Amino acid sequence: MAEARAAQKSLPKINPVDRPFWEAAAKDRFLLQKCKSCGKVQFFPRVACVDCFGELGWIEAKGTGTIHSFTLVRVPRNPAFKEEIPIYYINVILDEGVIIESRLLGENKETVKIGDRVRVRYEQTHNPAIKLPCFELAG
Amino acid sequence: MRRNKVCLVGYGSTEYSRTSEDSQLQHYATAIRAALNQTGLRKKDIHGLSITTQASPDTAPHVAEQLGFELDWVLNADYGGAGGVGAVRRAADAIECGHLDVALLVGGNSFDRSVAHQRPLEYQRGNFVDVYGYGGPNSLMALVQRLHMENFATTLEQIGKIAVAQRFNALNNPQALFRVPMTMQDYLNSRMISDPIRLFDCVMPCSGAECLVLAAEEKAKQITDKLVYLVTDAEKVHYQVADMQPVKTTFGMKLVGEKIFSEVRREDIDLFEIYDDYPIAVMIQIEDFGYCKKGEGGKFVDAHDLTYKGDFPVNTGGGELSVGQAGLAGGFLHVVEALRQLRGEADGHQVPKAQRALVTGIGWLNYGRNLGTTAALVLERRK
Repeated sequence: MAEARAAQKSLPKINPVDRPFWEAAAKDRFLLQKCKSCGKVQFFPRVACVDCFGELGWIEAKGTGTIHSFTLVRVPRNPAFKEEIPIYYINVILDEGVIIESRLLGENKETVKIGDRVRVRYEQTHNPAIKLPCFELAG
Repeated sequence: MRRNKVCLVGYGSTEYSRTSEDSQLQHYATAIRAALNQTGLRKKDIHGLSITTQASPDTAPHVAEQLGFELDWVLNADYGGAGGVGAVRRAADAIECGHLDVALLVGGNSFDRSVAHQRPLEYQRGNFVDVYGYGGPNSLMALVQRLHMENFATTLEQIGKIAVAQRFNALNNPQALFRVPMTMQDYLNSRMISDPIRLFDCVMPCSGAECLVLAAEEKAKQITDKLVYLVTDAEKVHYQVADMQPVKTTFGMKLVGEKIFSEVRREDIDLFEIYDDYPIAVMIQIEDFGYCKKGEGGKFVDAHDLTYKGDFPVNTGGGELSVGQAGLAGGFLHVVEALRQLRGEADGHQVPKAQRALVTGIGWLNYGRNLGTTAALVLERRK
């Protein structure tokens, strides 16, 4: 470790459980898991339904929702994000009823407040195969 | 020891494979589903979970979160080839003690290379949080604090009063890293980290350690004449885990408190050693314990003196906010300070009447919710 490498933005370490989600995101689609037994919709991807432990399938979300809470990150955990501070880190309630953690982008993000409508926006990462679902204000 | 109250009531297995690349979690899910089917138990009947594996980077609580279990008892039965027997013994202890009635004990292995070199939490936080440039726990608690301020009109001054009072408590504690007075202006003017979380909302990471010694009563009497008893204790793991729109401003401590205060009276507690990774977390726990209604923590703080000299002494040695957070020693600091107080050994910051102490611990912030673990106990000094 003679030379320090420049920090790189974090990427997901895709595994058998969440691979369908990331493969869909790369095609600008947002997948949620839905229980085959009780119909519960959930996120993040898991191996069983958090309600009844049933087996899971996937549904496509509309990609729209509402700001539930937000924070302006001035000290990101990964220094690779430092040049972009403040980062608008958000919780969104998707219209399918699940909370998503994500990032708000776009010119007018400074006006964000709880309850604002948002829509998904897919950001290309430095890995050509991976896109991140972020959000922008819909109004 | 002889046992007569614990039975083994079912089991579940997976296929064994030399080539499967299914994740460890998928294998767990298959075995658990089989056991649930065999016993007719439902997921919500399960109150305890033990995990034994070398193939998953995640500790038992993190596995429980990913499997979606809300629990009263969780165990990392990390005893190598003795993991099965060891898990049964410890689960039996917990069942005999009345902490739970049904526990699932799971062991496994997998050849899934994608997680082989990950650390705990790297799936949940690594794949779905860190990728967005978040600021660690500071950002996740900031989301909680913003909701508390928005929903309940809680002010920065009310939250800051906790930090300021704890600093006063630290001034005469030689262990504390911060022993210069802090004013409300100091708190309000401290640098923004992940708004509304400021620098003086955050703990200072440091090195250090804490140790506790427990003994049976008869042995304890031979060791000391300052007898401090564990009166009652409870925990909640992954409160609201199955709720996709959880209430972020209520912790599992609400349910812990209901158990604790079925054994002792709220008004009989003399001092409060409340896990303080952030002042807002202290305020929310005070609400969850029922010392005021949900959302009225700000008014409660306004109406009480939180110093060691006050009517509601909180974190009497300064807490982690002023002493420092020596990693996981942070969860022991509060127990040690309670002991120091109950033994009358808190020189310079002694609570005058210190007979019973409430001590809490909370663990990490989870995806979309708030805390993974919440636990509390009551200690009592007896003559």
